[in-house]
Amino acid sequence: MDDRQQQQTKRKKIVEALILAAPEPITAQKLAQIVPHLKPAAAKALVAELKKEYDEQDRAFEVWEVAGGYQIRTRPEYAGYLRQLQVERPLRLSRAALETLAVVAYKQPVTRAEIEHVRGVDVGATVRSLVDRQLIRIAGHREVPGRPMLYATTRRFLEVFGLTRLEDLPTLRDIEEFLPPPEEAPAAPGEVPGELH
Amino acid sequence: MSLVTDAEGGSPLEGEGQPLGGSYAVKLEVFEGPLDLLLHLIRLNEVDVIDIPIADIASQYVEYLALMRELNLDVAGEYLLMAATLAWIKSRMILPPSEEDEEDEGIDPRAELVARLLEYQRFKEAAGDLGEMSLLDRDVYAARHPDLEATPESERELAVDLVRLVEAFRQVLTRAELEGHTHEVEAETVTVRERMIAIMDRLAEAPQIEFELIFAERPSRAVLVTTFLALLELVRLSAVRVYQGMDDDSVPEGPIHLRRADGIDDDWHQRVANIM
Repeated sequence: MDDRQQQQTKRKKIVEALILAAPEPITAQKLAQIVPHLKPAAAKALVAELKKEYDEQDRAFEVWEVAGGYQIRTRPEYAGYLRQLQVERPLRLSRAALETLAVVAYKQPVTRAEIEHVRGVDVGATVRSLVDRQLIRIAGHREVPGRPMLYATTRRFLEVFGLTRLEDLPTLRDIEEFLPPPEEAPAAPGEVPGELH
Repeated sequence: MSLVTDAEGGSPLEGEGQPLGGSYAVKLEVFEGPLDLLLHLIRLNEVDVIDIPIADIASQYVEYLALMRELNLDVAGEYLLMAATLAWIKSRMILPPSEEDEEDEGIDPRAELVARLLEYQRFKEAAGDLGEMSLLDRDVYAARHPDLEATPESERELAVDLVRLVEAFRQVLTRAELEGHTHEVEAETVTVRERMIAIMDRLAEAPQIEFELIFAERPSRAVLVTTFLALLELVRLSAVRVYQGMDDDSVPEGPIHLRRADGIDDDWHQRVANIM
């Protein structure tokens, strides 16, 4: 192994240690700040090498890219064992919480009234609890009479759901998917959005 | 809202018997509101959402509400409102269109409900997708060293400088003018000192408040300006700090908020009194 390679291996290990112990996803920029003579692009390349190594060695953990940074996480198949170690209650999201979160995530920024229109129920308590859990936040006001508050998802939301950015959310299904195939469908009544073709 | 309650938590409807009484929990299939219940009935009857047999579905829906009451479950107002909507649609489907409905002719009275059901279904499924993802601290666990601290919120935000603060205030003024609140009805005598105390009182109730909210209550132009001067004075006295969040590239984003400076306890009253 020549000198350059040795240096590279050493840097990779430092990067590994940093990702492992960092209290939150650590960005390539942060890695580059800490590791001597490492540029963000090179940090990314080292992380990619680590990822590959873990996969090849079939380790119990993997490198995730979440909320703009990297984090080492156990693979989902070990959840059952890890839960037995868990001191705090595992994260629980009710259907009401998930539905509200889905509306906020896909339509943000949204007002409480807009969420209620979609779900057909009062969402005051659910919204408060999601704000308390830092999964959504107040992101300003809608400039209409009453200036209602607008809600948007947080960085913590990305972290919990393992997303790098909002664009990584699963695609929202089209209304057409819930309609019968066009041949069998009777003429759509009135103003049903999503016209059959 | 759900149909799940327990005898302690649910509020029994007045004048109803308590067939289940006692303190044991009642658990029914959970519905996330009237739209969810309707989708369930539509599936159960294997009918098309765009061609709902409204009379059948409406009567099953009402039966369901009756069952909920019998079980002493709290029937939320939104379920009752939907029952009324269904009854209205049913009547529109049965009655021949009246004269004033002429222009509406051809519009299916069910159309709006169908649109809402379809839209709700999209988000219901999206919620299901979210729930199936590998969630941190439920399905996957991260190695995080407990002694290393996450970036505190304060390092994710910037102290707001005077230029941005003035710009934010200009927007408050512009909006107040647009809303027509700025004509002076009577000369209000509000002093900077009174407004300083008002701001600090609000900061005693909450650890931080949004910049715009200090201008919310009395939006005459004179009061707005006085309030802003009061804020500047509090900042000068280092009693209040003004922050704004920033994104990953250190660009300010989100609302500006005010926070009581560290070490400012209740002696600020004294300081204000001494200075003014």
